[in-house]
Amino acid sequence: MLKLATVPSVSSMRDKPSQPPSRSQLLDKAPDNASVQHANSLAARIDALLPQTQCARCGYPGCRPYAEALANGSADINQCPPGGEATIEALAALLGVATKPLNPANGVEAAIFSVALIAEQDCIGCFKCVLACPVDAIVGAPKLMHTVIAAQCSSCDLCLPVCPVDCITMIPRSNALPEPSVMAPRWRSLFDAQQQRRARDEAALESARRQQRVDALKTRASDINIQASIERARARRSIKPAS
Amino acid sequence: MQARAAFLNVRSMIEVQVVLAWPAEQMIQSLSLPESATVADALAAANIAKDSTAGEAASFKVGIFGRLVELDQPLNDGDRVELYRPLIADPKSSRRRRVAIERRRR
Repeated sequence: MLKLATVPSVSSMRDKPSQPPSRSQLLDKAPDNASVQHANSLAARIDALLPQTQCARCGYPGCRPYAEALANGSADINQCPPGGEATIEALAALLGVATKPLNPANGVEAAIFSVALIAEQDCIGCFKCVLACPVDAIVGAPKLMHTVIAAQCSSCDLCLPVCPVDCITMIPRSNALPEPSVMAPRWRSLFDAQQQRRARDEAALESARRQQRVDALKTRASDINIQASIERARARRSIKPAS
Repeated sequence: MQARAAFLNVRSMIEVQVVLAWPAEQMIQSLSLPESATVADALAAANIAKDSTAGEAASFKVGIFGRLVELDQPLNDGDRVELYRPLIADPKSSRRRRVAIERRRR
């Protein structure tokens, strides 16, 4: 192993350029990759400062998308109501910019102090809240009871407006539940898992649709074959009496 | 034989959850099962379904992430096996009531 590492292999000798890479080559490739990587790691560092409620109050469909927008400079640091002043200060420090008050367009500062609760006598099992929940905190199936897993609820409020019978209320978050800051990584992984699952489901649905079209075409092709054999049989019969 | 099979399957275990929830209490059990496990296996391995407070759980419909499944459905890593309690409200009469309220408002 050590020997191999010290002796240059045949392929590396062959691939060795006779001249150093040109300036344009360097500009074309290396900086591009590096900048993409940098933006990714910056987005990850920004994401680590966000509360992970996935509430979309920032105007992006989740904390990571907001972090990516911040990393590429298309969003501002004052768009996260659940994070409030503390998050704005942390983001300002990371990005080396001045702090500013929360943008009122994104809402008022609201600490994560509540969880959703479904009034069972009113729930009609419409499934809309289950689909709206970004962290899979609602257990339920169509026409069956829906229930909030309190420990998993990120207080995003996204289930409230979609409920057709207004049976969801926000109640104070129990002290027995883990602190929101402790829950943040869990909410992040729940959100990621849901995104991946839905992408997988969508891909499976699409391939099923494609298969259906292929099957339809095949059926049509065999229809044509049947038609052709009927024609041949008819032709033979019409010849027979004549002979 | 079974112990041996379990031993051989050590590297291909899947992590799943079994959930039975009420407004005031949510029971979530995390399980590590062999790759070939089915929904029925998860329910059998979970204490939740056997719990005395959930005696009626045997009659509950079962699904994975909101989609009803058969008990012989194979599980995937990360699946959440959910037991669903029936509705209390009747969706049809609830709808009639809502329409009546809406009409009165007009």
